[in-house]
Amino acid sequence: MEIRIDNLTKKFGEVVGVEDLTLHIDDGEFVAFLGPSGCGKTTTLLTLAGIYKPTEGLIRFGERIVNQVQPKDRNIGMVFQSYALYPHMTVFQNIAYPLKLKKTPKNLQNESVRQVAGVMGIGDLLDRRPGQLSGGQQQRVALGRALVKEPDVLLFDEPLSNLDARLRLTMRGEIKHLQKNLGITSIYVTHDQVEAMTMADRIAVMSGGRLQAFDTPEELYDRPKTQFVAGFVGNPPMNFIDVNVSQSDGAYTAKTGSIRMTVPAARGAPAAEHAGAVVMGLRPEDIAIASEGEVAGEIFVVEPLGREDLIDVRVGEHSFILLANTESRHRAGERVALQFDMSQVQFFDPQSERSLLWRQ
Amino acid sequence: MARAELFASSKVKTDEIQPTLQEDFVEALKLAGISIVVLLVAAFFFSAVVGPFFALGSVEETVTDVLTRLALLILPYVAYISAASVARRYTFRATSRALGLAFSCAILIYALISAGHYLLDYGVFAPRPSLQMTLSQTDAGIRIDEVAPGGAAETAGMLPGDVITAIRRDPVDLAAFNKRLGQSELDAPLRLRFLRDGEEMQETARVVLVSDKELGVLLPGLAIVLVFTAIIVFLPGHWAPYIALVGLLFPLLIGYFWVIVATFSYRTKGLVPLDGNDNFGGFTLKNWESIFAGNIAGLEFNIWPILMTSMAIAVLMTFVVLLVSSMAGYALSRMDFPGRRFFLSFTLILHGFPAITLLIPIFIVLLRMGETPIIGDLIGFNTVGGIAMVMVAFQLPLGVWLMKGFFDNIPWDMERSALIDGASRFRAYWEILLPQIRPGLLALGIFAFIGGWNAYIIPATYSIGTGLSNLPVFLNELIDETAPVDWNQVAAVGLFQLIPIFIFFIFAQEYLLNIYAGGTKGSS
Amino acid sequence: MLKHQAANSRRNALRSYLGAYGFMAPAGILVIVFFLIPVAIVLYLSVTNLASSNFTSDLAKMEFIGLKNYDTLFNDQFARKIFSNTIFYVLVTLSIFNVSLALIVSLLTTHIDRNAGFIFRAMWILPRITSPVVYILIWKRMIAEAPFGIINQFNELLGQPTYNYISTNPWVFVVVVNGFIGVSFGMIIFTSAIESIPKDLLNASLVDGSSRLQRIRFVILPLIRWPLLFVVTYQTLSLLTSFVEIQLLTDGGPGLYRTEVWSLTAYHRALSNYFGNAQWGYGSAFAVLLVLIGVVLAVIYMRVFRFDELIAEPRVEAL
Repeated sequence: MEIRIDNLTKKFGEVVGVEDLTLHIDDGEFVAFLGPSGCGKTTTLLTLAGIYKPTEGLIRFGERIVNQVQPKDRNIGMVFQSYALYPHMTVFQNIAYPLKLKKTPKNLQNESVRQVAGVMGIGDLLDRRPGQLSGGQQQRVALGRALVKEPDVLLFDEPLSNLDARLRLTMRGEIKHLQKNLGITSIYVTHDQVEAMTMADRIAVMSGGRLQAFDTPEELYDRPKTQFVAGFVGNPPMNFIDVNVSQSDGAYTAKTGSIRMTVPAARGAPAAEHAGAVVMGLRPEDIAIASEGEVAGEIFVVEPLGREDLIDVRVGEHSFILLANTESRHRAGERVALQFDMSQVQFFDPQSERSLLWRQ
Repeated sequence: MARAELFASSKVKTDEIQPTLQEDFVEALKLAGISIVVLLVAAFFFSAVVGPFFALGSVEETVTDVLTRLALLILPYVAYISAASVARRYTFRATSRALGLAFSCAILIYALISAGHYLLDYGVFAPRPSLQMTLSQTDAGIRIDEVAPGGAAETAGMLPGDVITAIRRDPVDLAAFNKRLGQSELDAPLRLRFLRDGEEMQETARVVLVSDKELGVLLPGLAIVLVFTAIIVFLPGHWAPYIALVGLLFPLLIGYFWVIVATFSYRTKGLVPLDGNDNFGGFTLKNWESIFAGNIAGLEFNIWPILMTSMAIAVLMTFVVLLVSSMAGYALSRMDFPGRRFFLSFTLILHGFPAITLLIPIFIVLLRMGETPIIGDLIGFNTVGGIAMVMVAFQLPLGVWLMKGFFDNIPWDMERSALIDGASRFRAYWEILLPQIRPGLLALGIFAFIGGWNAYIIPATYSIGTGLSNLPVFLNELIDETAPVDWNQVAAVGLFQLIPIFIFFIFAQEYLLNIYAGGTKGSS
Repeated sequence: MLKHQAANSRRNALRSYLGAYGFMAPAGILVIVFFLIPVAIVLYLSVTNLASSNFTSDLAKMEFIGLKNYDTLFNDQFARKIFSNTIFYVLVTLSIFNVSLALIVSLLTTHIDRNAGFIFRAMWILPRITSPVVYILIWKRMIAEAPFGIINQFNELLGQPTYNYISTNPWVFVVVVNGFIGVSFGMIIFTSAIESIPKDLLNASLVDGSSRLQRIRFVILPLIRWPLLFVVTYQTLSLLTSFVEIQLLTDGGPGLYRTEVWSLTAYHRALSNYFGNAQWGYGSAFAVLLVLIGVVLAVIYMRVFRFDELIAEPRVEAL
């Protein structure tokens, strides 16, 4: 089922939940809505589900305008963060509830529930109540209930955030696998960018009720169109510093205070065209500590992450976050030199926060 | 205690000087003095300020009078307790010091208060009704041993050696005579029959109030004070709240105890069950039998229709209150519609509004509804339905508010999930949300049932002269319309009515405590 | 297309509102029939001379007499007495029982073992869940004359004179009987307020060296100011308007209006044949004053205690 959202605005009295959102989702696509809490992603999801009615704009499922269609007539399945399993019903009754409401004959209900439960691996839990299940099992029941009515659209509202880290990893794979097998158009709301990056075909990054970017994970990472997207996608986040980019003899240099960096022409040229200071973005993995390099600084803090160390290096008033191999055993207070891989550098207009390299 | 433990170690180190006996004594007396002054001020306040104030509005000020007397009555005991509380610090470290301190303070306070009584003719020295003669019981009657010169008895012409046999025509012994005398007022005439030299004579003596200031009467009082003080000194501290709580509940406890005793005995005097000959005992089931036999003190009745009416009102009320409140509570909690805010505020205003003030106009409303065909037969004047509907309406504001609170506590996702699964709003309410607020329904249901089962004023007002009465109305008829009232049979009806209440009380205390604060604790 | 959409949207909104009003309807009808209409009727009755002699339930046939009932009321010598009776009854019962005793019980029960405290509090619920008729039956035997009365039996035991309390001290027992019912409300509210005070705060005050009494005075009482105010205002209104227990115990007697209170007068005048002639109009004038006080206080509770701030917006818009 293809979903087209055009100029969607949702207000709660004076409070704006979503503003002027336009988004086209292809049939069978897995789309993640990514953003900090309160950015409007869940509001959009609930509007798609029909729980909220749009204030303005159009929502189409295929060719059908669904603005005023009741949730029960949209043929959607939804998995909630809290799972929203009905505590007074058994697992079987929970999964069968959508079928019961559709007045599916009893024997068909029975068959469908058992089939879905088999797929979800909860066939032996059908007589239990939700309160007797572990978080992961509840998650599977919720998913089963969403799937049992063979929905055209699957909606996920941060479904994994109540699970522990290990289980989250397993479920992530399972959901993605299931979605690809069934080919159901899915929308997945999350604030966890790793989830979004690993699972989604395309990611819609939202902030303050507005769509910031809508693209494949690779595009978002490599060619962020706004400073917000650049900062939000990637962990640890991109380093930003204000610099001036100038050209002399065909070579482009970014400068601020004592720092000078040579920028490849392809990226330096658009930045140099911009009058005045620009925001330069460098991902932590593009910075390395070297015995000698362009810039000298002092290690402010070292945070061991296990596989690698997160190191905060101060150069003058600027701070660079970077990742280093644990075996290098750096200590706070150590004086080091930094080496920058400028081939992946990003530049943004400080006023509009738009990328100077990738125009929309 | 905790404080003492906390600083026990530091005390050893700092080698603090122990207070001397004199210092303790002064502290104890100071505390006692303060409490005496406070209570005296309170007594003065009740008798000299509050009393006259209400007397202006022509209220007979018996309550302030009682309060004054109460303040004066507990005054010495508060003083003993205050003084003894100082001694309590030494109870387990230096018992003799503690007792010595407490006793010496108590004796001093007792002396002080007695002196006050002596001077003001109060308490044990208060003037009592008297005929100013000394008496002793003999086989023949009450013998006059001595007659005070110039006293009431002498004025009446009584002589030592006379033997009193009766007051008017009632034969008396010494105890009855003293009791009769004790209840007489100043100047009340007592016509005494007596034998003088074998001859029956009659004289009228007028009662005078005399304070015989004999110090001997102080000794039993002193003994009581010393025992009291000793108890205070040795009483484990954590017992005090329990003693206070039981003391406060005492009137209630004996009241309910009486109902149970009275129900199973022929008759009772006070709390003592008696048989037909005024001897202890007389346990019987006849009071219960008479309920079902349908005759109490000559009033004939059939208990079953009365019981059915009670049940019908209570059950009808429970169901309608639950249904109507949960529906409205659901809409207010979960639905958006013009006027929602208004309805919510209005519910709250109604919750605070005393519906009972509308009894008069509702009479007219029910009469008019009674004239309407069909509706009138179901919920008009003089119908169980009408009575139940009025009571439902009265409980509705609380019910709606409570139900809204319970619905508010269910996660929104539950509702959303049900709607996405294909439920209509009504099915989501009925199949998904209602089962989840079962504790709330149970609490409100119990509240409504008790309200309906206990209903008195509304059925009594709106079913006049139809024979349509529930248990409380019937019980009140029994008390009002039978003479003499057989209180033990009435008590049986009362206890019969109380049975479901006791059952709820035993099994649903938690719900009751939650709901009887007017739903201010809306969540479970 | 868009026009069609707009019309469609309005129709759908209307349909969803109808659903909500459907849920509200039963409660709404009951409120209209048993609250709103009666308020209007009682206001109207108070300006008519409706009585047993000319009784009709047809509002159009009642005789309008203007403010004559109110004029009579303000010049009624007994109304003055009943008024001061009412003030006396409310003030004394409220201050001794509904507030002070309630506070004492909740302080005591929160300072002892949790379960024991709970049981003691539960006992105080008994008067409230007992039918007034049975409750008053118990008290009638409690204060009956010797040798049947329970209190008088204690008096005899202690060698004290016995009394016929209903005629010597009717007010004392009107206050006590109602007071014992009134304790539970304040007790429950105060208890939950005290229990919600952080334990650390209570322990800290003891560590700081305050005695238990000082802790009550300086820590607990200031923290339960609001519940205290709530109980005072709420119970004032309940005491002002409740009359059933007084009706059953003394029926306003003994003698002329000795324990008659305002709400009982309204009932007596209009609904009980105490005087042989029920005066609906005049009784309504008494009731109207209580209704007005009730409305004003109810609005004040809502504003002062910010109940309206608890109102959250619903977060499901689908029907």
